[in-house]
Amino acid sequence: MWGERTFQAFREAARQALSDGQIQQALRGATGRFREERVHALQDLPDADGLRDRLKAIRAATLARLAEHLTTFERNATAAGARVHWARDGAEAIAIILALAKERQVRTVAKSKSMTAEEINLNPALEAEGIRTVETDLGEWIVQLAQEHPTHIIAPAIHKTREQVAALFSEVAGEPLPPDNIPALTATARRLLRDVFLTADMGITGVNIAVAETGSIVLVTNEGNGRMVTTLPRVHVAIMGVEKVVPTWEEAAVWLQLLARSATGQPLSIYTSILTGPARAEDPDGPEEMHIIILDNGRSRLVGTEYEEVLQCIRCGACLNVCPVYRKVGGQTYGSPYSGPIGAVVTPLLFGLDRYFALPHASTLCGACLEVCPVRIDLPRMLLSLRRDVAERGLLPARDRKLEQGIAWLMRHPRLYRWVMRGVRLLQRPFVREGRLHLPAPLHFAAGRDVPALAPRSFMELWRATEQQHADGSPSM
Amino acid sequence: MTTPRETILQHLHRRLRSVLPARGWDSPRTFPDLTARFAQTLQAVKGEVYQVGSWSQALARVSELLDALAASRVVVNPDPPLDQVAWSKRWPERSWFVVGQTSGSLREFCARADVGISGAMAALAETGSIVVGSGPSHSRMATLLPPVHIALVATTVLVPDLFAWIRTRPHSMPAALTIISGPSKSADIEQTLAVGVHGPRRFIVVLYDDEHASGTGGARDAR
Repeated sequence: MWGERTFQAFREAARQALSDGQIQQALRGATGRFREERVHALQDLPDADGLRDRLKAIRAATLARLAEHLTTFERNATAAGARVHWARDGAEAIAIILALAKERQVRTVAKSKSMTAEEINLNPALEAEGIRTVETDLGEWIVQLAQEHPTHIIAPAIHKTREQVAALFSEVAGEPLPPDNIPALTATARRLLRDVFLTADMGITGVNIAVAETGSIVLVTNEGNGRMVTTLPRVHVAIMGVEKVVPTWEEAAVWLQLLARSATGQPLSIYTSILTGPARAEDPDGPEEMHIIILDNGRSRLVGTEYEEVLQCIRCGACLNVCPVYRKVGGQTYGSPYSGPIGAVVTPLLFGLDRYFALPHASTLCGACLEVCPVRIDLPRMLLSLRRDVAERGLLPARDRKLEQGIAWLMRHPRLYRWVMRGVRLLQRPFVREGRLHLPAPLHFAAGRDVPALAPRSFMELWRATEQQHADGSPSM
Repeated sequence: MTTPRETILQHLHRRLRSVLPARGWDSPRTFPDLTARFAQTLQAVKGEVYQVGSWSQALARVSELLDALAASRVVVNPDPPLDQVAWSKRWPERSWFVVGQTSGSLREFCARADVGISGAMAALAETGSIVVGSGPSHSRMATLLPPVHIALVATTVLVPDLFAWIRTRPHSMPAALTIISGPSKSADIEQTLAVGVHGPRRFIVVLYDDEHASGTGGARDAR
């Protein structure tokens, strides 16, 4: 189960991650590599910025008429032979899947990585009913075997070492596997999971894009597990958030052109599967049934609000890789399937600000996320709005609230403010080293962080001095 | 009692706003040499590309590849012109499953096949991709389960990019269309690239000039 993130819980989780050298190294390596490859992949496009603007316009226009596009999608998917189900929340989605599984006496479910399934905690619900549920994305399977949660939207197991992976696989394989040979570990996973694909009765996937005009869903994977679970089991169930729809193929192409480039720096993922209904009568293979579950789970109430923009997200993970907070604290610290800057915004919006009020504060507001987002989602703006909501709803701890109220009061009294600042500048002197404040432990209000000392002269003083200089001789421009 | 469908749609209906629909992307990309771009992009992700002058040379290349792979079980999706080849007559030493022609369990054959052979309905130069579709003689498993996938692709089906292909996409979609851009891969263990996770380890494209459409291939490339 995902946790809640009060300030205390977030700090505790962050402290753990920060003191884990292995996680620090994994985060540095993975996020650095993704960052570089994304830049190269976008440089290959003649007009990547224009394409991003277009994707933004497409996502915004689609959300404005979401009900229409969803019903068009439903009509065309149904015409193609799929069954479309609607779920207001995770419990309803799980009930639909369990009913489908029981009616069909499903014993084994093969899953392809789905953030939406993570969001509703699908696996424990299936397992509780005695249905064997196996994740088939290599990273997701590692995380499942370790009984942990994915820590990156597109690289679920970046926090695991090859030694840990070898130990987990050895247990399943029933023989000791050496950790030094990653291709051999991968081959073992191929062999063990191939049996799962061939024997599973139901395949469960997410949906990367739903195209209304043909009722098709698009799935992208690199390993081929997405193709496996939509080809071999007799039933395919796909879960999608209401926001995943796009009206036409022309628009879907813009989305696809940016998705893999922003995520892993690939021009396209290795496999892009476009699925329109179950296998036709004349097809030699493919699933007999296809079910699509359209899940709301708190999304529709964001449409038309200042947080609607968060629904434009295409889940590429680019914002995680550039975030100075994510890159240090990693995915576990967020206590949610969605981590990093997008997770800090979408988690409290979908799962409750009262449970996750620390997340909007887990940001330096540096704006790097906005700069790399393929849909140019203004996450810093929404982080600030959520901080306001946290304060307005009285969720701040009393100490922080009093401190912030005090500062706000002081800032409304400019003369007093200047006097106080002058006083602080004098008082800080014994504690300043190389421009940073080093307070003794009990007084240190920002443990674990560097706090810059107040500059010797304030901006206003410098400004006034400059004006004075100009007035004294050197004429201004 | 309202159904979940009604609840969600009513909620969204209340928030409908009139907007100008956004358009797709209309700045077509061109490459001086589509074949070269295709090969370069695919090879960069460890895909293998052979360029030959004709269909008969393509088959000769397939023969060499099957020898080199020591393939004993081969499954074929007979997209034209692959449907014109008498596979088991030409290579009687191998065991063949031609989808739509051979009887028996396709699934069992594919699960133990060494090689899958297919054509392609389109190829995208920019991303080094081919497009395969499902249909009466087009198995999904044939290009997925065997450890090697060989695709015979006419240069005439090469288009510059995804946008160009989307414009010519089939009007009525088959149940499955797959855009394949390389051999199966993962970097999920310590960010180390491993090829052949679930899908084929080797993805080999034999690009051939289609003599029946002589002239058009070159004209396309020069565009």
